[in-house]
Amino acid sequence: MGTRILTVEDDERIRAAVKLALEDEGWTVEETGSGEEAVEAFARQPADVVLIDIMLPGMDGFELCRNLRRTSDVPIVMVTARADTHDVVAGLEAGADDYLTKPFAPKELSARIRALLRRARPTQTGHARLAFGDLEIVPDEGKVLLAGEELHLTKTEFRLLCELASNPGRVFSREMLLDRVWGYGYFGDGRLVDVHVRRLRTKVESDPANPRHVVTVRGLGYRLQS
Amino acid sequence: MEGRLRRLRSTRLGLRSRITLTFTLGAFALSVLLAGTAYLLTRAALVRQRDDAAVDQAYGSARKVNDALASNPPGASEALESLGSTGNANPLVFFRDTWTARSAQFGPDSLPDELVRRVIDDLVPARMSYELRGETVVAVGIPLTTASASYFEITGLGDLDDTLSSVLFSLMGAAAITTALGVLLGTFAARRAVLPLADAAQAAKAIAGGRLDTRLEDTDDRDLGELATAFNDMASALQLRVERDARFASDVSHELRSPLMTLSASVEVLQARRDELPERAQSALDLLVADVSRFQGLVEDLLEISRFDAGAVRLHREPLLVAEFVRQAVSVSSMRSTPVHVSERAEGLVIEGDKRRLARVVANLIDNARLHGGGDVGIEVTEGDGDAEVWIAVEDHGPGVPTEERERVFERFARGGGAGRRGSTDGAGLGLALVDEHVRLHGGRVWVEDRLDGEPGARFVIELPAETA
Repeated sequence: MGTRILTVEDDERIRAAVKLALEDEGWTVEETGSGEEAVEAFARQPADVVLIDIMLPGMDGFELCRNLRRTSDVPIVMVTARADTHDVVAGLEAGADDYLTKPFAPKELSARIRALLRRARPTQTGHARLAFGDLEIVPDEGKVLLAGEELHLTKTEFRLLCELASNPGRVFSREMLLDRVWGYGYFGDGRLVDVHVRRLRTKVESDPANPRHVVTVRGLGYRLQS
Repeated sequence: MEGRLRRLRSTRLGLRSRITLTFTLGAFALSVLLAGTAYLLTRAALVRQRDDAAVDQAYGSARKVNDALASNPPGASEALESLGSTGNANPLVFFRDTWTARSAQFGPDSLPDELVRRVIDDLVPARMSYELRGETVVAVGIPLTTASASYFEITGLGDLDDTLSSVLFSLMGAAAITTALGVLLGTFAARRAVLPLADAAQAAKAIAGGRLDTRLEDTDDRDLGELATAFNDMASALQLRVERDARFASDVSHELRSPLMTLSASVEVLQARRDELPERAQSALDLLVADVSRFQGLVEDLLEISRFDAGAVRLHREPLLVAEFVRQAVSVSSMRSTPVHVSERAEGLVIEGDKRRLARVVANLIDNARLHGGGDVGIEVTEGDGDAEVWIAVEDHGPGVPTEERERVFERFARGGGAGRRGSTDGAGLGLALVDEHVRLHGGRVWVEDRLDGEPGARFVIELPAETA
């Protein structure tokens, strides 16, 4: 079965045009016009990637994100009005993996979706099992355990953790992580990394306010330690 | 401006000078009045006192001379001798039609005729003060009853003049001090009075500088309160208007984004099937593609500039190595292979900048050079004049920008004087205005000048604060 994309957008014509453009990439597109509809459609048949416009009537994009995240680790791309608002951070905190600002070129969207799909595949770290104190990573199975208990990470969070784990103790700059996890170049948005690290900490740290595993190195980036 | 009050212009002196001057003149007039009055009163009292003393003394002496003339006749000189010392009073006796004076200086000539006549002819005691050889004197004349003679005394009041002039000197000193205090008080009062005006001026400057939420503090002072309220009302009205204008521009651009989204997605679908279209349709599609992307750029620029106007732009600053940043920015611009020359010292310079906004600045300058300049385009990164700046210069080989247009090119939708210089792929004319806004928000500036090597062409320079890494 081909890749399925669920789009949530209240403007009918945009929806139709984006569907046409994405279908040109060979993907199956299911379109919905509201958050409620999207929840229903996703429950009926889960998608491989969800594209959400933040500005929706009724249930807004943030709420939809949180709703989907309760049951799924599906990659989510959100569409915001602009890049310099709090919307971006709020959307990422609600569980989105990446964002685009409107109007975006469909080519750009396809590129983002392809990056997310690549990420969804298992990672090669060359290790069967990595342990950092009470934190254990099983890359091949896509599993992470904290004190023996399995954690639910999204695919992006997992990929981020694996990147950091690929070279324990080494400092990874934001640019490096943007490149390796998101496939962005020099002009990627560092907030993607910061918010995802924050999200990761709420899961892998017993005290997220005083992280012991995913440590910030001021002015340089992040590092994973036991 | 038409509405400016003419009253404000009519006075030449500033308010502060006027207040100070008023205080000074007031203090001066008051102190002169007081000192003058004090002097006159003191003088009158002293003169009367000396007058009375002279009269008393003259009566005493007259009695002695009378007795001497009566008991021991007949010698006026002897009678005068009997007086002994008379201080600074000079006695004269008129006896048997002859004048006898103790001092040659104060002879009968020194007496006013009127006094002599009243005493000798009318036999009435009299007193008169007058100027004698530049000195104030008082003369007292008393008819002597027993000896049928007259006694006169001329007393110099020269010492009184000395006393009075020292009094006058002290009073003048006091007046001068009072006036000086008036100046000080005036300066202080003026400063106090103008302080709220200075606050208002500062607030007005802040508003003019774009901080539209600036307000004056409330005050208990009724007069100032009125000014503050009026000022704040004006500022609120202005802010509301500016915000409404900005919101309108922003709303328009927001509304444009949805159709634009549909357009660009549909155009992309068509473009993927370009080969299946007849030749004429292909040409039409090419036009459509080009203008949809131009339209998209315009809307993005409009949105960005309306954000500036609304004061809603928040920079995401981070330390950036300038050289690396410029190379990266060029690599995503419309002329990826533009050469970048970095001076040795500039290699190590770091700026605190919003990566994506500054990339837009570089991209806009490159677009500008490509569309309105022409020829080979080059970029130079060098340290600025000072130690704390970096210059990023974009040079082209176009016709250059005439001196009189060098300010105007950074205005919105500014078109060059020679419209022919601009090609059909003309940019929106917001590009350089955005460059200006972005650079200013980063604490830098931008200008255009001639190429440094003297060849024809324009050189756009952005100067940004930088430090050595």
